[in-house]
Parts: sequence; C-alpha cells; structure tokens
Amino acid sequence: MDVHPPYLYPDYKSTRLRAPSEPLVRVAPSPLEATGPVFPKHFVKDSEADLTTWGRSAPLGEKMVLVGRLLDEDGRPVRRSLIEVWQANASGKYPHPVDDHEAPLDPNFLGKGQVLTDDEGRYRIVTVKPGAYPWQNHAFGWRPAHIHFSLFGNAYAQRLITQMFFPGDPLLAIDPIFQSVPEAGRRLLIADLDLEQGVEGVALGYRWDMVVRGPRATPMGV
Amino acid sequence: MPKPTPSQTVGPFFARELLWKDGGVVLFPGRGDRITLTGRVFDGNGAPIYDALFETWQADAVGKFPSGDDGSRPYGYGRVSTDSDGRYAVETVMPGSFTGPGGERYAPQISVAIFARGLLKGLRTRVFLAPLELIKDDPLARAIGDPDRLRTLIAARDAGDPKIYRWDVRLRGAGEAVFIEF
Repeated sequence: MDVHPPYLYPDYKSTRLRAPSEPLVRVAPSPLEATGPVFPKHFVKDSEADLTTWGRSAPLGEKMVLVGRLLDEDGRPVRRSLIEVWQANASGKYPHPVDDHEAPLDPNFLGKGQVLTDDEGRYRIVTVKPGAYPWQNHAFGWRPAHIHFSLFGNAYAQRLITQMFFPGDPLLAIDPIFQSVPEAGRRLLIADLDLEQGVEGVALGYRWDMVVRGPRATPMGV
Repeated sequence: MPKPTPSQTVGPFFARELLWKDGGVVLFPGRGDRITLTGRVFDGNGAPIYDALFETWQADAVGKFPSGDDGSRPYGYGRVSTDSDGRYAVETVMPGSFTGPGGERYAPQISVAIFARGLLKGLRTRVFLAPLELIKDDPLARAIGDPDRLRTLIAARDAGDPKIYRWDVRLRGAGEAVFIEF
C-alpha cells in the first residue's frame, strides 16, 4: 500500500497549479538511481546536531532531544547518511525573508542542523520544540508543530524530504499537508515520546525512526 | 518489513537551510567539457516557480558515476534554488553515456529532482543533453515513446554559446514535462 500523498491534493491549495496532470513514466533501474552523492567524512560537524548552541545563550522554548534510526524497507540500517533538519523557532517563526508571521525571531536560534547516521543508522539531534504558525491556505489555518527532514539514503533513489510531527497535536486533524498522507501512513510521521532519551530536568525526549526505499526498489549492484 | 516514511513538501522556508555556497557548481574528480544547464520552472498557469529546490545527479564525462567528494562536498551533485523569475542554473560537465544493469546504453542525461511548496512529493525526471535523433534508443526515450512528450526532456544547445544548454520545465498543463518513477 502506498503511504505517500498524491501530487494533487486540492485542500492544499499550492498543489493545484504545481501537481503534474500526466501519470508518471515508470523507468527501468538505472545507475542514475542506484548511485548517489557521497558526503565527505567531515561534511558534518558534531556541533551541527545541536540547534541550541548557536547563540550566546540558550534559545527560548521547550528543549528536546530527538533520537531515531534511518532504515531501509528491509529494516536494514542506512549508515553514514546525511540528515538535514530545519524548523521554526518556539514562537512558530522562521528566520526567512518570506515568513510574514508576526511572531518574534529568536537571536539564539537559527533552526537549522544536520547529522550523519552512525553505523547502526542512528541519529540524535538536540533542539527546541517548534511552535505552530498560521498560514494562508485556508481561513484560520495553522500548521501543526513540525520539523523538516531532508534524507539522502545511500542511493539517489532513496532521496526523501518530509516532516516530523508531535504526538497528540490537535492541529494534525486540520492540516491538509499532513492529511494528504493516506491514513495508513499518517502515524509514521508522528514522533513518540521517549522520556529516557531526554536529559533529566533539561530536555524532553522523543523518538522517530525513518524508512527510505529498500534495495528491492533500488537497483543495487549496478 | 517497515513501511517507508511518507513524503511531505519541502515548504516555502527551505532556502537558507538547504542551499549551499557554490551548490550550482558541480564537482568531479576528472576533467570534462564544462557546460551550464539553465532554464526556468513554471506552474500550470505558466507563472514562474520562484521557490523550488532544483537538484542534479549525473555521471562524469566518461559515463562513470562518481563515488566520493573533494573534501568539502560530494562529486556529481548540484543543488540550487530557482530565483524570482523561476530560473535555475547548474554549471557542470557534459556527462558521458553509460550502461545499465542489463547492458543497455543510456544517452547523456542528468537526473533532476525538484522540490517545492505545493509538491507533496519531489518530482523526479531526467534531462537529455543530446538531440532527439541521438537518443531514440535510450531506455527512457523508449519508455516515453511519444516524441512530443520526449521533447519536454531535451535541453536545447544555445545557438550563440555552445556551452549553454537551455531547459524549461513546466510542472502542469500544456507542455508538461515528463516525470518519472522507479
């Protein structure tokens, strides 16, 4: 069963003029998908996995630790793979010129980080919980709190951009971006509380595993 | 078996996060003819898409897929955003033709991924850097068949500057580019 959203999902208005109308053409496995960019060992600095240490002091908001694994569809760890994250600050504001939400920027929070998975596919990032924010897709629309993820896997076929959401968020029910995912897939975008992964008295722990296409879908060995 | 994580849109707020200095200059370990692939990305009304992330992945000049990096970033991979006119530009080498797992020959082409607000899944396609008559036996060209559809994936060599290949991408409607799945 396909867990991915369709291209055209009219409740998310921006899809109406951007979703292709023709069916996709299925192509035979080729080295263009079986290979992919390889990131240098020192591409990521350890400090980039902690989004709370950019400023002179701690950012505002609820500090959190997020851990998880990057796996393929066969359950195998995806090792040494780049994960990029970006997010709004605790007030729901991005430090981006097109963000017109009237909420404060936080001089101690840029909302950008990256990490490489380890030999077991694990990652860990430290950040603050992003705030929800209004958007103009529909009247009184607010996006639920979310963290953006950009994944490479080990082959260009595995490239994936997605968003992680928080458990129990009532805004999920009214978010057309989240609701665009078929029901069977929605749970996969929500992190679990995992208190022991947090830091006692300091940061709340969450866990979220991600799965990219597996070798059956990927023409390995080309 | 774990289910794959569903895709979600990159949204409008990615630029500072995902763009690299010199992301539009693609590196390779060897030499090659430097070319520039450039064009504009349009929506279903023909309006420029000014907030797309445009990525490329390709073989080197002799058709080999690079596995490695120059110490700062990966070989073979380009990453830019479109500007306010919907324009992108990637400076790279002319890729060589290459062979697939069954021995089939691929014409010179670049893998393209486009992510944007309004795209719940990234769009994947390939752009050919050779004219129609030279790509007829290419596996992707055969899968597409219809020459009018195939033309949406052929970059045009600039008449004045042979180093420039021009390729516009229409996401929806008249002249809609072919997008692929695999």
